[in-house]
Amino acid sequence: MADIIFEGRVYTCQPGESVLDALIRQGCEIASGCRAGVCQACVLLMDEQEIARGCQQGLSPAQQKLNHFFACQCRPDATVHVRRPANAGGRVSGILRCREQVAPDIYRLYVSAQMDYQPGQYVTIFKDQTTGRSYSLASHPEESSSGERLLELHIKQHESGALSPWLCHDLQPGESVSLLGPMGNCIYSANPQQPLLLAGIGTGLAPLLGVLKDALHHQHQASINVLVGATEPSGLYCTEQLLGLAAAHANLQVEFLIQNNRNNQALDPATREADIYQYCAENFPDLKGYGVYLCGAESFVGKMRKQCFLGGAAMADISTDAFIVFG
Amino acid sequence: MSLYDELGGAAAIDAAVDIFYRKVLADDRVSEFFDTTDMEAQHAKQKAFLTVALGGPNNYTGKDMREAHKHMNLNEGHFNAVAEDLIATLEELNVPQAKIDEVIAVVATTKNDVLNL
Repeated sequence: MADIIFEGRVYTCQPGESVLDALIRQGCEIASGCRAGVCQACVLLMDEQEIARGCQQGLSPAQQKLNHFFACQCRPDATVHVRRPANAGGRVSGILRCREQVAPDIYRLYVSAQMDYQPGQYVTIFKDQTTGRSYSLASHPEESSSGERLLELHIKQHESGALSPWLCHDLQPGESVSLLGPMGNCIYSANPQQPLLLAGIGTGLAPLLGVLKDALHHQHQASINVLVGATEPSGLYCTEQLLGLAAAHANLQVEFLIQNNRNNQALDPATREADIYQYCAENFPDLKGYGVYLCGAESFVGKMRKQCFLGGAAMADISTDAFIVFG
Repeated sequence: MSLYDELGGAAAIDAAVDIFYRKVLADDRVSEFFDTTDMEAQHAKQKAFLTVALGGPNNYTGKDMREAHKHMNLNEGHFNAVAEDLIATLEELNVPQAKIDEVIAVVATTKNDVLNL
């Protein structure tokens, strides 16, 4: 008989019994629906990659890479370690190494912390026991500074926000922060031959950078188009870093789109005034076969996801990181 | 052999559900019911529906179907619109008419649950 270690507690699993049935039989509250490996209500995550592989038919490439599996379809014959995807990460302590202002209301922070993550995932940062907000990772685990692995975060400051004024001003380099993570499915999981479209607005650039770095790290073969949108020119940041990457990789093209250049500022050749939805529709009319990554405000991600899906991208090939403002 | 297996099983349904979901999203008669912020969840529900309609592995009882549509004030016109979108999807996949008729016969059995009759 196999054991199921579910979020730290041991449960039994009888021969032929599914993980879902075993956990429910022993009093765990696990959502379920069709029990046929279709509706995704019971999707959980396990550490044992080999066992997870057998119960992933129908999950997106990103979910498969993160070892998500259908609990209703999994009948393990060895001990498995299982969690809900929302409880994927653990709580770790980090130290703020440095902080710089990169746009009028955007700060880039580097935090030293021991955490295994996929670029593009997010963490929740806590100011005290209960007050936390989530931020996406722009760093790549292979990067290091003076031998130290740093998490890169882009924080948009909200005047009356619960976390951002503290993160952008009060917290000092050398001081520690509590982090929970990693979480999220917006990770590079495309086929190397699949053209990529990465679009983001505001600090949606953070997870987009993470995904882009990982695609380049894996020597992605097909074209990669990055569209970065901002309301006005001052909202753009990391432009030199992105243009540097584009100069170094023939298959990478980066464009910056300004929604409203009302002061008629001179724009560099990679920047133009355009509506990001319209620009995307005109320049990428057929997204069949594309891997699409969309990051930023929830309204942007929702509208763009629908547009890209109707434009031919398969639902499983659209990865998103939608930011929700909690105040 | 069920049409589900004939079409190629689970992998084929992933492609079919994309075609189907695009059609209902573009169908003014019913798009408002499918155009949600959580497209992934909605997509998974459409996949579960297609799997049942095509005779794939399922544990369909009708109870969830009834519950999910309870407060949506759906009428026969809505039901028929979705059925037409499904027919168009199957035609696009070159499913023979006789098989399409079989699928629609299965879908018809869900009507009372969907409309909460």
